[in-house]
Amino acid sequence: MAQLVAIGLTAIAIQPIIAYAPSSLIGAIAPVSLSMVAAAFVFGLSMQMILGCGSGTLVNAGSGNPIALVALPLFCIGSFLGTLLVPFAIESTPHIPISLTASFGVSGSVGITLLGLFVAGLIASRFSTGSIWNKKLLIAGAVLAGLAILHVLVAGQPWGVVYGLGLWVAKGAQGLGWDPASAQFWVHPINASALSSSVLTDTTSLTSLGLIGGAALAAWQGSDSQPLKQPVAAWYFVVAALFGLLLGVSSRLAFGCNVGALFSGIASGSLHGWFWLIAGFTGSVVGVKLRDQLWLRASEAAS
Amino acid sequence: MTRRFGIVIALVSALFVVGLDWSLGVPPDPYRAPDPMAFGSQSGASGAICTFAPGADK
Repeated sequence: MAQLVAIGLTAIAIQPIIAYAPSSLIGAIAPVSLSMVAAAFVFGLSMQMILGCGSGTLVNAGSGNPIALVALPLFCIGSFLGTLLVPFAIESTPHIPISLTASFGVSGSVGITLLGLFVAGLIASRFSTGSIWNKKLLIAGAVLAGLAILHVLVAGQPWGVVYGLGLWVAKGAQGLGWDPASAQFWVHPINASALSSSVLTDTTSLTSLGLIGGAALAAWQGSDSQPLKQPVAAWYFVVAALFGLLLGVSSRLAFGCNVGALFSGIASGSLHGWFWLIAGFTGSVVGVKLRDQLWLRASEAAS
Repeated sequence: MTRRFGIVIALVSALFVVGLDWSLGVPPDPYRAPDPMAFGSQSGASGAICTFAPGADK
């Protein structure tokens, strides 16, 4: 419920201000397509397998979680591979960007967004065994919404995670001799500019580095008394690496992770955020069942 | 080994990304930093955004 409140508060603030200053601010609007929905499903499944979504993997890695530390490099590589596949996906299937703000105006778009979130809350409460209202989480959600709004005001665009990860690998690949002119995605002026600039001037890179640093700071105290080793067999780390790679590829093909596409997409009034929510949630349900089975086997193999 | 070792690995990796980027000849340029206050600056956002889909509008 706190997540829905956070998205709702952000939507109420950013949709009007983006519409007011379109030359300065942009929303997280992306196309809806078959490949986008399939990729969101794979992302939802993968994030359960490595116990972390886009931002969650960064936080877990910053907290010293070994599974996340294995998955994160592959997540970055996958995000880069995804940028190479995006043009093919766009040419293969129809991609239709639908902005609710452009279609129904600001008040209509905000109204539809809040109604959608309300319905999602009702569905969540119907299937929840306990209370879905938690005061601490609601406060955290409100704080998160405030930071997301500030992000739009300061950076000019909504919060995202994955773009920066792919950018880091693209820069590394360029250093190893890869020619970005061979990739349609990186030829685009916006991406070419990001590639030729410092990562410290890239908004998503800054927030992703900040997530790692913030998580490290929060987890530092007491971390010297917690064992690094996870109670699972070594082969689960191979599984984590594989799904980390899938997490990266799918997040690029789905035009964002649960932050850039779901949170920022819905808050910006992009229809693709809602498709992402349904597909990502469905994939997540499948992922929970698969993870429980594999985790049990990995735990038994380790003991 | 403790969890702190993992935290140190994560922090060193993050610094490695910045250091590698710098060593490849892209030092931080404060004049190309993201807009300090994009709202009303008319300079627009950096554009490198997760939902960016070049060619999707064609």
